[in-house]
Amino acid sequence: MKKIGQWLGYSVLGIAAILALLAWVGGAINRNQEPPYSLAQSWGEKGSGPGQLNDPTGIAVTDTEVFVSDARNGRIQVFDHEGSFKREFGTTGDGIGELGRSMNLTIHDEKLYVPEYMNDRIQVFSLAGQPLEIIGSPGEGPGQFNAPGGVAVADNGDLFVTDFYNQRVQHLRADGSFVKQWGTTGETAKGAGEFTYPTDVALADDGTLYVADGYGNRVQVFDAGGDFLRKWGGPFALGLYGPFKGWFTAATSIAMGPEGNVFVADFYNDRIQKFTAQGDYLTAFGSAPDNPGHTGMAVAIESDGTVWAVNFADNQVEKWEPVR
Amino acid sequence: MVKKLTLLLSALIFSMAVLAADNHYVLGVDGLACPFCAYGIEKRLNKIEGVTDVQVDVGESVVRVALQEGKTLTDERARQAVDEAGFTLRSYSQAEGETGDGNEQ
Repeated sequence: MKKIGQWLGYSVLGIAAILALLAWVGGAINRNQEPPYSLAQSWGEKGSGPGQLNDPTGIAVTDTEVFVSDARNGRIQVFDHEGSFKREFGTTGDGIGELGRSMNLTIHDEKLYVPEYMNDRIQVFSLAGQPLEIIGSPGEGPGQFNAPGGVAVADNGDLFVTDFYNQRVQHLRADGSFVKQWGTTGETAKGAGEFTYPTDVALADDGTLYVADGYGNRVQVFDAGGDFLRKWGGPFALGLYGPFKGWFTAATSIAMGPEGNVFVADFYNDRIQKFTAQGDYLTAFGSAPDNPGHTGMAVAIESDGTVWAVNFADNQVEKWEPVR
Repeated sequence: MVKKLTLLLSALIFSMAVLAADNHYVLGVDGLACPFCAYGIEKRLNKIEGVTDVQVDVGESVVRVALQEGKTLTDERARQAVDEAGFTLRSYSQAEGETGDGNEQ
């Protein structure tokens, strides 16, 4: 009888340990290491007039202005930090200065880099809206794109581009010439350095490359030499999606904070998640949608740490600030 | 006689107008809320000869496709385009009438 009691005790302890392990892996007992951010300001509504949006898909910010990909309107809109409309540029098309569904935006060295999903190219503009350069063309060859979703620019002008349907990240020189790629062209995979519809990239100050592996539901990190460092998102970053802390359900945008933290737009979970550079979960925040669809589409970080995001379902720009 | 001819002519014109109308299709596709997905479907369908309009209805999880007169979208071709975009075609039907105001750009 005593042995049965011991056996039962060990069994209960074992089951509890397994449940705790599953809960930990599942994120259920992953606590916020930081308080969430609070929504300080938002603006926008569906439409095509100044200040109205129709599918906001990307955002970039300077110390004075906010640039928004207004994808279905075929334009970039520029606002001040209070939400007042300042200017717009672009129109739907595939010519110079025209746009075919602009996606995640990047500003580097006073220039705006615009990946165009439909036109399979990166178009570079001055911040005033003057078209300067077109990089890439449709295809699956080196330096070509099939629905580019995001771009990061190194200090020397080199580009890192997520090539969504080609299932790769390309490293290009400033003139668009090919350097190397991560991932196997046109093939999804879940191993380290392989991708499943990658959407966006961000560069840390030391050249570390962070990739939002969109439907891989994870982040992958590479050192400045291009070697794989780590990945995170769900159990063992194997591609499982879910709503738990540190998990993703379509990672659609990624940005670096001034302290080296990593912010990831987690589209179907309607939130932005914040991590350390090592991938430790810190906090999450976002808006529930008022309209059909989801909100957590794209994110950009101001130099003071203020988080700017676009709410896709509700056609809004959002400003989030840390709760002090 | 003149009245009969007029009626016949009217009927003929009406028939031609019906035949000349655009062809509309409704494709059921799940998981279209994300623009990275929805745009991929639009991009592929727009490459099909004769397609004049593609609209993604996130709420109903359907894609409405319009083709110019005389052009058709077969189940097989629709399935191929949807597959290439990374999705599975859940349903396929030919629809009557307009597709709406057209937000494809």
